Amino acid sequence: MCKYAASRKSKISSNCVLSAPSFVFSSNVVMRSVSIAIRASGRIIHFFVHAIVSKSSKMMFESSQFDSQAGSGGGFFSSQNADSSRTSAKSRDNQPMCPVTVKQIVEASSADDKSNFLIDGIDVYNVKLVGMVFEKSARNTDASFVIDDGTGRIACHRWINDPQDTEEVEELMDGMYVRVHGHLKTFQAKKQVVVFAIRPVNDYNEIATHFLECIHAHCCNNKSQNNGSSAPAASTAVATQSGHQTVPSTQVSQEYNVDGLGSIDKMVLDYLQLPSSLTDERGVHRNEIAQKLKLSQEKIIETMEALETEGLVYSTIDEFHYKSTAS
Amino acid sequence: MDTSNPAVLVNAELLRMHVGRRVRTVIQVLKSDGGGSVVGRSTDEQQLIIKGYPSAPLSTFVEVIGIADSNQSIQADSWTNFGDNFEMGCYNKVCQLANGDFKHLFI
Repeated sequence: MCKYAASRKSKISSNCVLSAPSFVFSSNVVMRSVSIAIRASGRIIHFFVHAIVSKSSKMMFESSQFDSQAGSGGGFFSSQNADSSRTSAKSRDNQPMCPVTVKQIVEASSADDKSNFLIDGIDVYNVKLVGMVFEKSARNTDASFVIDDGTGRIACHRWINDPQDTEEVEELMDGMYVRVHGHLKTFQAKKQVVVFAIRPVNDYNEIATHFLECIHAHCCNNKSQNNGSSAPAASTAVATQSGHQTVPSTQVSQEYNVDGLGSIDKMVLDYLQLPSSLTDERGVHRNEIAQKLKLSQEKIIETMEALETEGLVYSTIDEFHYKSTAS
Repeated sequence: MDTSNPAVLVNAELLRMHVGRRVRTVIQVLKSDGGGSVVGRSTDEQQLIIKGYPSAPLSTFVEVIGIADSNQSIQADSWTNFGDNFEMGCYNKVCQLANGDFKHLFI
């Protein structure tokens, strides 16, 4: 099973929490914090990845830019599950970005259609890769290179349309780590990635983060396959290949909330996830929580703000009523 | 330099399982005297010897790719400076996952 909770401690609204790979560019320096909990063979492993991303650096991934080129992209997780059942060639341009390892691409089965690739049983078109550049060769209109992420090598092809593209390609050097976004294609019987964005990796924690994202995506895809549900990835337990198991969302959130949250935060979350709290569409008034849990006004305000920043709760009809994002 | 082979993500503990094979790991440089080897601390806090000649001055954290030649040393052919700010613990967990339950995604 695998669970995922991503939170950011900065100027990000809770709804973009799950599109963790996209980078923040709203301030000069942004602390990016991703927490991922993966339970494997009964062990729970928590990750914190902190990366300082400076605005001037080129590794910035402007989500808007990728979105415009990759369809509605960005939110890979929620839309991935919803799309999986009715993916067709027609909707390909709207497909989300899937973080993958090269090995997954190499092993992807390409069925009848030339650009139809199945990874974990899901039709994958747009992919994200992080790896080293090799064998770069640039021409006036296009550039080709190989990406090696340690799991294998894949040919990449980048068309050059405007000066910005030229700049991107000129920066590339053999042995340099980059993140590429592109779509899968078969050309002359070989798989390749037609790249539409290249960014140098400046913070090397991104490599570990990328692999964690690959693992998470793999878990989510297997989950949606196994029980066909389109439940939000954040609040559900995900199956590995060994089989699947349904875990109530409250249990899940209890597990991942232990990570980095104080006991009061946890109590409040638990309260919000009680069946009695879930019945009301409007959520629960913070005064009610304070009263039930015997917390002071200051404490409850502080706690709710902290939980909201973490993307674990959201306010509903007004700024006093809250619901848990996990429910 | 043969880079076409996959290089398995390892820490010191996992290194022993891949002796003779191509591996990649990140070390915190402890001693680098330019004498053909570098002493480093692995992501799981053990000592590793990295043999080879880095082409540039090393930063605090360095990724090395090469052949595991014993359970404590790597013959490196690729050195990449990972800067002075790197989460060793996180990388270590990824190594464990990449050799454990999610091995099939990596090797």
